[in-house]
Amino acid sequence: MKITSTNKRSGHEARLVLMLQIGLISNLFFPSIAFAYVDPGSGSVIVTTILGLIAAIGYTFRKYFYKIKRKLMGKKEEQEQ
Amino acid sequence: MDARLEANAGSFRDPVNRVYEVKPKEKNGSTRILRGLNKDLLASYEQLSGEKFFQKAMSKGQIVQTDLLPLDDEDAIAVLSDGWAGVLEHETVPFVTYPYEWTFSMLKDAALLQLDLIEQSLENGWTLKDATPYNIQWIGSRPVFIDVGSFMPWKEGEPWVGYRQFCSMFLTPLMLRSHLGIDYLPLLRSYIDGIPPTEAVKYFSGTKRLKKGVISHILFPAKVENSIAQRERDDALAKKRTPHKQSKAMVVGLVQSLTRLVKKLSIEIQHTDWSQYDKTHSYQDVDFEAKKAFVLKHASTTPRDYVWDVGCNTGTFSRIASENCHHVISVDGDHNAVEQLYLAEKKNKGSNILPLVMNLSNISPGQGWAGIERQAFDQRKKPDLVLCLALIHHVRMSANIPNVLFLKWLRSLNAEVILEFVNREDEMVVKLLTNKKEQYEDYNLDQFIADAEQYFTISDRAPLKGGKREIFYLKPRS
Repeated sequence: MKITSTNKRSGHEARLVLMLQIGLISNLFFPSIAFAYVDPGSGSVIVTTILGLIAAIGYTFRKYFYKIKRKLMGKKEEQEQ
Repeated sequence: MDARLEANAGSFRDPVNRVYEVKPKEKNGSTRILRGLNKDLLASYEQLSGEKFFQKAMSKGQIVQTDLLPLDDEDAIAVLSDGWAGVLEHETVPFVTYPYEWTFSMLKDAALLQLDLIEQSLENGWTLKDATPYNIQWIGSRPVFIDVGSFMPWKEGEPWVGYRQFCSMFLTPLMLRSHLGIDYLPLLRSYIDGIPPTEAVKYFSGTKRLKKGVISHILFPAKVENSIAQRERDDALAKKRTPHKQSKAMVVGLVQSLTRLVKKLSIEIQHTDWSQYDKTHSYQDVDFEAKKAFVLKHASTTPRDYVWDVGCNTGTFSRIASENCHHVISVDGDHNAVEQLYLAEKKNKGSNILPLVMNLSNISPGQGWAGIERQAFDQRKKPDLVLCLALIHHVRMSANIPNVLFLKWLRSLNAEVILEFVNREDEMVVKLLTNKKEQYEDYNLDQFIADAEQYFTISDRAPLKGGKREIFYLKPRS
């Protein structure tokens, strides 16, 4: 599993998170419009990249958290035995 | 093309495969559901069918039972002659339904099935090319994924291409109902490709924008789509957007975060006219038992394939019918009553009851491409028996549909009917007529019998509630 790839991009990631925050705040105030020739789905590559980066942080954190928890619990069980 | 072979009218969007129905040669045979695959998809399926996660999901009933047919199968030859390289056979789904007929929990369970399959796929080097609830059908009260052709190998770095579709077709409707109490069914009926974020965002104003998942999955995508449209609307060429490489942690992480979000979405089932029918009906126990006995007597005369219970409330009579037939389609316009039926039936593993929400005076029409991509409710599998209990007074007095038109529609189903007529003296009719200027003088037992006999023969009848109601067993006239 190549979860380390997210760590390599920490600077890039921080910029994207900042962009996301600005985007989200501005979102609260901007109205929307209809469109015709532009594929609406083409924006989802941007959306999934940014949401994916945030989700990856949680995913990675949970993965290591459970790994550590399992190790600690395992040790504890061994001690009890 | 073989005369027995008919391409499914709703299966044409993905050019690499197509579903066909093959009518049986014999009168009592059953229709086979076959899928033609092109060369690449056939190779991909051969690999997929060897994957443990796929085999496990199929054995658990998450994916429809599927077999690759030998090339010398007579029906497979007919499909191959339409230009395909391989043919799959699927287990037949009893009754095709659409997400605009599902309750909140049905859509939620379908969403969780979709997310579970995409996560399992990604963990095993596969993905799903789309994420639409039209790829999910029901066997009784159990959701099952039917579009085996949408599995494809996943390469590290590829984004989840079904994300936007998942949000438009599953997540946004669920959030509209859970966060704002908005009935999404009419919206899903109209937006056949789902509710786009640019429309969904209009429902969320002020602090409603801070509800779970709204900023990430509605406001942010809407902002991105709107700004792209604003920037590129007047450009001669559309800007090419190459996807950023996305790690497995990003893609699986996004799917898992959506799973957590969907699990948290819920609704309160408030008491409506019908949601507590078992406790609030106007019958004395003895009369209610007499009504049940009449239904049981005529629903169990012969084992039937399909029974429709139109105006099913929380399904008391659907359950009686379910013991003597293969499939019950239970329909009611009251979302909360149907939701209760679904929540009860999903606990019953072998349930053969499929609950659906639908206003019977405005049933699902044929729609989508050429008006046939999604079939009208009454153009799908026809019933053998219809239960129509204490419904006709609502059809006449709430929807203003004359009895004769309703009976004509029932006759068009070509099925036997158990119908309960609620007379003018019944307190529920009195309640309906209170404060109404129109008093529906044509609504009476004699007129009903005269209208019914145009289309049906009365095979049996019994008075209920001391003559305030009458229950009929009708057989269609030839």
